[in-house]
Amino acid sequence: MPPPVLSIRSLTVTFFGSGAPVPAVRGVDLDVHAGEVLGIVGESGSGKSVTALAAAGLLPQNAQVSGSIMLAGREIVGAAPALLRRMRGQEIGVVFQDPSTTLNPLLPVGRQITEGEVAHGRLRPSEAPQRAVALLRSVDIADPQNRAVQYPHQFSGGMRQRAVIAMAMAGQPRLIIADEPTTALDVTVQAQVLDLIARRQRETGAAVVLITHDLGVVAEVAHRVAVMYGGRIVETGSVREIFARPHHPYTAALLRSAPRIDAAGGRLDPIPGQPPTPSELPPGCSFRPRCAVGGGRDRCAAEVPPLRPVAPDRAAACHFAEEVRVAASPVRSAPLPDTARRRPDAPALLAVENLAVHFPIRAGLLRRVVRTVRAVDGVSLRIAPGETLGLVGESGCGKTTTGRAIMGLVLTSGGSITFDGQRIDGLPRGAMRAVRRQMQYVFQDPFSSLNPMLTVGDAVAEPLRIHGLFDEMGGARWIATLFDMVGLSVSVANRLPREFSGGQKQRIGIARALALRPKLLILDEPVASLDVSIQAQIVNLLEDLQRELGLAYLFIAHDLSVVKHVSDRVAVMYLGRIVEEGEKAELYRTPVHPYTQALLSAVPAPDATAAGMRRRIILEGELPDPAAPPAGCHFHPRCFRASDRCATEAPRFERHPGLASFRACHHAGPLAAGGPSARPEAAVP
Amino acid sequence: MTEALRSGLRVARRVFSRPAPAAALAYLALLAAAALLAVPLGLDPLSQDLVRMLEGPSREHPFGTDELGRDILARAIFGARTSLMTAAGAVSLAAAIGVPMGLVAGFFGGWRDAVLMRVVDLMLALPGIMLALALIAVLGRSQAAALVAVGLTGVPTFARVARAQVLSLRRRDFVVAVEAFGASSGYTLMRTVLPNSWSPILTQMVVLSSVAILLEAALAFLGVGIPPPTPSWGEMLRTGKEYLHESPTYAVLPGIVLTLTILAFDTIGRALSTVLEGRDTLIGRPVADPP
Amino acid sequence: MIGFVARRLLQLVPVLLGASALIFAMMYAVPGGPVGVLVGENATPEQIAAVTQQFGLDRPVIVQYGEWLARALGGDLGLSLHSREPVLKLIAERLPATLQLAVGATVIGLALGIPIALASALAQGTWLDRILSGWSALALGVPTFWVGILLILLFAVELGLLPAASAYVPFWEDPWQAVRHTILPAFTLGLYVSGIFARFLRGSLISELAADYVRTARSKGLAERVIVLRHVLRNALLPFITIVGIALAGFIGGAVVTEAVFTYPGLGRLVIQAISTRDYPLVQGAILVILVIYVLINLAVDILYVYIDPRIEYH
Repeated sequence: MPPPVLSIRSLTVTFFGSGAPVPAVRGVDLDVHAGEVLGIVGESGSGKSVTALAAAGLLPQNAQVSGSIMLAGREIVGAAPALLRRMRGQEIGVVFQDPSTTLNPLLPVGRQITEGEVAHGRLRPSEAPQRAVALLRSVDIADPQNRAVQYPHQFSGGMRQRAVIAMAMAGQPRLIIADEPTTALDVTVQAQVLDLIARRQRETGAAVVLITHDLGVVAEVAHRVAVMYGGRIVETGSVREIFARPHHPYTAALLRSAPRIDAAGGRLDPIPGQPPTPSELPPGCSFRPRCAVGGGRDRCAAEVPPLRPVAPDRAAACHFAEEVRVAASPVRSAPLPDTARRRPDAPALLAVENLAVHFPIRAGLLRRVVRTVRAVDGVSLRIAPGETLGLVGESGCGKTTTGRAIMGLVLTSGGSITFDGQRIDGLPRGAMRAVRRQMQYVFQDPFSSLNPMLTVGDAVAEPLRIHGLFDEMGGARWIATLFDMVGLSVSVANRLPREFSGGQKQRIGIARALALRPKLLILDEPVASLDVSIQAQIVNLLEDLQRELGLAYLFIAHDLSVVKHVSDRVAVMYLGRIVEEGEKAELYRTPVHPYTQALLSAVPAPDATAAGMRRRIILEGELPDPAAPPAGCHFHPRCFRASDRCATEAPRFERHPGLASFRACHHAGPLAAGGPSARPEAAVP
Repeated sequence: MTEALRSGLRVARRVFSRPAPAAALAYLALLAAAALLAVPLGLDPLSQDLVRMLEGPSREHPFGTDELGRDILARAIFGARTSLMTAAGAVSLAAAIGVPMGLVAGFFGGWRDAVLMRVVDLMLALPGIMLALALIAVLGRSQAAALVAVGLTGVPTFARVARAQVLSLRRRDFVVAVEAFGASSGYTLMRTVLPNSWSPILTQMVVLSSVAILLEAALAFLGVGIPPPTPSWGEMLRTGKEYLHESPTYAVLPGIVLTLTILAFDTIGRALSTVLEGRDTLIGRPVADPP
Repeated sequence: MIGFVARRLLQLVPVLLGASALIFAMMYAVPGGPVGVLVGENATPEQIAAVTQQFGLDRPVIVQYGEWLARALGGDLGLSLHSREPVLKLIAERLPATLQLAVGATVIGLALGIPIALASALAQGTWLDRILSGWSALALGVPTFWVGILLILLFAVELGLLPAASAYVPFWEDPWQAVRHTILPAFTLGLYVSGIFARFLRGSLISELAADYVRTARSKGLAERVIVLRHVLRNALLPFITIVGIALAGFIGGAVVTEAVFTYPGLGRLVIQAISTRDYPLVQGAILVILVIYVLINLAVDILYVYIDPRIEYH
């Protein structure tokens, strides 16, 4: 076998700053061969990005690197800057995470794509424009001639990332490092971009290191996997085998705790505690405090386990790797009987009819309204007491605006909202206050949803004080109960938010939302900012609270796997309208609207076997401008079933014959193949 | 309340643990002490000694005498009182007017914002010193006039800073959260937004103090400042310039104290800005993350 | 673009109207009112009546304001009480001198400020950075009038090289003398403004150096020098233009103190002289002109910024 393109041995990276040195990477060995995709998986603090940046020689000045990194036969650690510079662009290309900041906003895109090659003398300046156009074409950007002279802000997010890929591959590098390349993108765009990376890799035979926290992405694209935790690699192997039979407790626990699109829903199995920060690593094995296999065993606390082979082409860093129980298939525990919780026959707690929220855009000399952004364009939904409605869609579909409009935080432009029998849209502020006792909101970003100047105890009590109900609801004892309900000790109540982790802050946010004993909680992406292992904790907490308190949830999210675990019913939004709605199991098993079908097919599942077999529907094009939605059915320009009728007549939202789902489509219907983890066979360019 | 105090002390500790701000603070403390203790110590800025006019440094008069034989050192120290008090008054006035303007404009938006920002634009339509001069032209020469003129020059800065801060806070989830609980506008503004806005406002107060001192001295130098016989650094520099040939050292000391005082406030202001907001300059750009 | 410019001009109208109204009202705020200004303090009732009649001072204020404004727009700013010459003529005489000083100071400011900012930002955190930042703080903090005095002390009194009192010598007439007379005040102002420039540009550069696209440029293997010049400097200079424009605009009236130190015949000094002789028409006219020029230069800078930045779309 030819030598690996990238070969890392005993890599250690320590950051020096004002405090104690931070060991971000503590001894990493890995190889990547030509034509192969190595996925490096880990949560925050695992050291995965630092490892990759070290391979590219892009670490900041205050990083001390030791060990060996051989790239295309040359040593990177300690190499002269001139050598490193020459290698970049030719031997190695990097795709970064955030396409909106990766490109210089003041230079044309085409120029940026070719400037590396020109600088290295491999491309003549006179030929650069042509090459830029060719490169843009190679990443499927339409109209590359015009796009090459445009600026980054004129590209959409997905297009920008594709341009970044073109830029990284401009010099035909032998190694491509992609650091969370799709994390900032929508699911359908993610599918496009991953497909592109895989295709270009096949065409050029490059070696790819793909860094991600998403197990589904790894299963989709990678050949081999390295799992990192606490600055070290804890397991390696082929992607199929790692998912089928993990040998490290962390890998096994991660697979069990991650919400998955191909599971039946039901309770998740979270990993207790949280991932360690590099500056506070426990002695011995860094996973020990959270490990079901090693917790309590002396050897794990005393000795750092080395990465040792446990099977042909498999390695794990665990003293007791043989004891790791096999997770043969994702947990498919039947959901708990929910007859006691849901009361679908009771009058709807929340009923929304034809909700519209339009934002005018003013321009010109007289500030006339030139366009209207129809963020929410005729949404109807119902939530019964005690049930969870999941509202899913990609960015810009209007789901967050819907949630805020229901909460009264945004003015509505039409339609009605009825809560507990009372019309609440357009209520004056005073009357709305009373309603707000029954309906509360949980925000996405735990880092900005708590007032930094209030202690968390005061923050949780704040809604009570605003309504003057502190004593009436039970005063300090009620606060203590709330803390207890979300799994926090009330002794932390007089600390400030900045002393807590993201997951803990989210618990506090939930406690605060429960303070007034509402009947309905609107949750806007409550777990999107959290690590995978923490997500499971919060999801379980929400389910427990729902059972105990009889709450109804409007769960707004873009992550279809999480929604599948949490919801009873699911509604799918596209460009301000609901395109399909139904019972969760039925909707995920047999979606009937083409958009839902594409959306579900785009979500990668952490199951390498299935990934190889399934066909995906890859949508063409980008999300249209919400101020100028296509006529008729909003989805028709990208729809694989569209006909002439779809361009002129907007479909009505009605029940699909034979199923319990509702949908808005002229050509709705299940796809050809069936089965539990089935993915549609109909493939489209 | 105590939480605010504790965080204030924390900030103070971080700011004054650096050498430059600490030195600046020491200097200001020394200056203030000298200004307060000057009378008991027997320094007299007013006693004239017409025999010894325009002398250079000597043992009795370490920095020489002025055109009426008065001790320059004594006058310089008394000038500190004038400057510091005028600066404090002007900055307080500017904040008292500018901050509410900015808060209301930023929080409520709409016509209030448009009107208030036009008023701010009006005040910014002239270079600062010109605005002060125009005001003095109307108000005449007096201590109050100087204070008002310098103070009004600082209003736009506070209005803009407060408004920018409110606008950025309004989008933060914890402000939206309070509204979601059913809080009134007043509660949101006063109990949630305002307490989180103090850091740039405090920084501006310190920085504007240095500008106020400079402006007051400039007005005095131009001959339209606080009328004599109140000692004032600007006035001393004005006279010193006239007698540049006769007594080259006349203008030196007042200039030194004036410069040091301005620099002291500026240094503390910059340190505050770095500590509170991670910004190294006061123009509003964040510093690169230190390791 | 035209629409944008037109909209900004319209936004100026209330500001200019308000400012001109306030300037007009100045006359009424001084003791004695406009009558007192015209006839002095010890006037007989007959004189007062005569003047009131002659200048139409008994008509409603709004009307008087309207007439004053109309005349001003037509170029008639009245007569100076002191010299009986047209105010506009007096102002126009001073304008070239002011501009020469403003341009000279800006050029010196840039020549000093930009290199210091670059060196400081690239050597961020080192002793060089600290020294240069300290220098910028000093340049900003030292009062211009004191610097001016010290410079006069050194170059005029002690060394006798340059004149202590600067006259206005147009550059195109006699470059050498023009430099001799303008260099000291221009340097005084330029030093001050170089501190502002250096501080702002340094911050801007540091922030751009930390941007993601710089990391991208490094990942392509570009040389550090290319990265700084083509990416960082270009991006940092964009907002810097605004600062330079504001500084230049500020010199049009705001250089009054430096002009006073060097007795340089600029607009600022005109205002001071007018105030001290209570020549209110001249004060009003001068302040009005300064205001209009200042506002227009700021507007031009804004428009230039919008034009240059490709991210901003104007309808």
